[in-house]
Amino acid sequence: MSEKKAAKIQRLVDLIAALLAHHAPLTFERLVEEVPAYRGKSLAAQKRMFERDKLELRTFGVPIQTVGEDGSEESAYKLPARDFYLPYLAVATPRGTSSPRRVDRWGYRSLQTLTFDTDELAAIVDGAARVRTLGDPTLVADVDSALSKLAFDLPVGSVSVAEDERLLVRGAAADPAVLQMLGRALLARKRVTFDYHGMSTGASARRRVEPFGLFFLNGHWYLAGRDVDREAVRNFRVSRITGLTVNGAREGTPDYEVPSSFHLREHARSRQAWELGDAPPVRAVVEFRGDTGAARAAAALGAPVPGCPARRAFEVRRLDAFARWLLSFAGDVVPVEPPELVTACRKLVDRTRELYERVEAGGRG
Amino acid sequence: MSDTAAEQLRRLLYLLPRIADGEEHPIDEVASLAGVSREALLAELGTLVERYDAPGGFVEGVQIYLEPSVVSVFSSHFQRPMRLTMPELCALELGLAIARASRASDEHAVIDRALARLREAITALPANERHEELRHAELAFAGSAAHLAIIRRSLRDRRKVELCYRSGGATSAARRVVSPYTLVFSSGMWYVVGSRDDGEGLRFFRLDRIEGVTLTDERFAPPDPGTIDAVLRSGRAFHAEAPATMTVRYSPRIARWIAEREGVPVDADGSLTMEHPLADRAWALRHVLQYGPDAEVLAPAALRAEIAERLDAMSRG
Repeated sequence: MSEKKAAKIQRLVDLIAALLAHHAPLTFERLVEEVPAYRGKSLAAQKRMFERDKLELRTFGVPIQTVGEDGSEESAYKLPARDFYLPYLAVATPRGTSSPRRVDRWGYRSLQTLTFDTDELAAIVDGAARVRTLGDPTLVADVDSALSKLAFDLPVGSVSVAEDERLLVRGAAADPAVLQMLGRALLARKRVTFDYHGMSTGASARRRVEPFGLFFLNGHWYLAGRDVDREAVRNFRVSRITGLTVNGAREGTPDYEVPSSFHLREHARSRQAWELGDAPPVRAVVEFRGDTGAARAAAALGAPVPGCPARRAFEVRRLDAFARWLLSFAGDVVPVEPPELVTACRKLVDRTRELYERVEAGGRG
Repeated sequence: MSDTAAEQLRRLLYLLPRIADGEEHPIDEVASLAGVSREALLAELGTLVERYDAPGGFVEGVQIYLEPSVVSVFSSHFQRPMRLTMPELCALELGLAIARASRASDEHAVIDRALARLREAITALPANERHEELRHAELAFAGSAAHLAIIRRSLRDRRKVELCYRSGGATSAARRVVSPYTLVFSSGMWYVVGSRDDGEGLRFFRLDRIEGVTLTDERFAPPDPGTIDAVLRSGRAFHAEAPATMTVRYSPRIARWIAEREGVPVDADGSLTMEHPLADRAWALRHVLQYGPDAEVLAPAALRAEIAERLDAMSRG
């Protein structure tokens, strides 16, 4: 480890300890007395170092509070014990409630106690196990760190998790290093540039994007963001991203803000292929003539049609995608309305049929 | 702060509450606790020991005494871990949201309570809201959450279940006693992987085709280690013991997507011809027809004929 880095860790630990040691806010001058590494430097250098340390600790999650205006001559700083230390954690079981080991010292006595029940604890451990399957090292580090904190008081290690559940990913998985870089850019609101392999063209092109969110949908990570050159929000499968760079200019200053109208959860909601796109939705009615498992499962996706138990209605934005989906049921599901859908399906059947007839005539098969 | 510095600080704040009791702790045990090598641990703790710049009379926040095989730590300020951070909460929240989506509604309250309690344990910082909604994860759910709950219980208790199952091509449901070995999520669907009592080997059961589940009292032994891994290695949610295959040609219009999913290159003309295990004819029909004229079965001939017949029938209406 470099001497510089070692000194920094030591300084940060000293700063936390100094703030925790005092109930009252500490002025900058008092902190210089309490943190040895700040001494022996010019006032300007001391202040720069302290401001950087304060910012980094806050980014790390240490809730250092400023009394007065941040950075002003009169301001002071505090780190209340109950805002820093993990509350005492207990678990309630049918046999009683556990008693976390209490520290009989000032600062620790005022901590509240949070009591989980065994089902809640199991849910947390189960949720953490699911996060580990997603392949994002940042998320894994965060859940591991969270569980290690909870494990200080709670029997996290003795909770059995659903090891019998797996996620199968077909095709290339996202590069963990790319996910990490995108995660950092997202948090700092920094613009990214990358080569993206477009599937519709089969070619790679350089894209400039303002990241709005990362979402994992059915086995793959996607970046949602504003494509600067196309001036539109686009999704990019992370496994198709190479040559990623994050704008390093004006570090600490956001390049953009995520519009308040953008909601990642809604944007990333799982949709059928025929529900995608900007076209206005069309109500399509289909009839289920077969009763196979596949047809039944498909019927569950539609809405009932009053008076017609064999029919279901769907909101469709892409008739072509919907027609192909209907074709996959090989006649067990047939279109009823609108007429454009009926026509599209008929053409699709005819084109596919011609293909087989042509090849048959040529002697294949 | 760099990633490595943040990781080191995180590790120190994890370790200190566990060892800052003034007692001697074997260095190897502490290294194991921290999940780092002995050398890495000594280097990290050394940063807090080798203090050359401390003024006389300075009382350290952490006092560490390193001996060849033991370490003693004194500190009154680091006797409990730090609160959860917002990124830690968000990561757990993501996992709980995934879990919630496939749980029956009567199980949601537990997850919601757990999340509410976790929120009480985080550090409050103005920047916390910047972490909200940066990531989202969703495993699309189709089928019955109540059925899934019973299957999860059977997995945990190693008890067989009776499934009322209507396979993709069947027009009626059949009752089957199954030993469920694992649950897999693939391409937007949950599957139960297990063996049937009739000795037909491993089978995949799509959750949305399960019409009923009954937990039995009969126990089952887990399969040999590696059996499930071997089946899942292909990434496909089905298993074919028979060596039958079908050959499909995908047009250049869609071949790139298929090639990416299958992890193979496209052919020189931009199309893709590849073999698939043929586990289920009904699946094969659906798989090929979903691509319309952009996918064509080349072999076996019987499957080609069947597709042609079905298309003829559809054309006649």
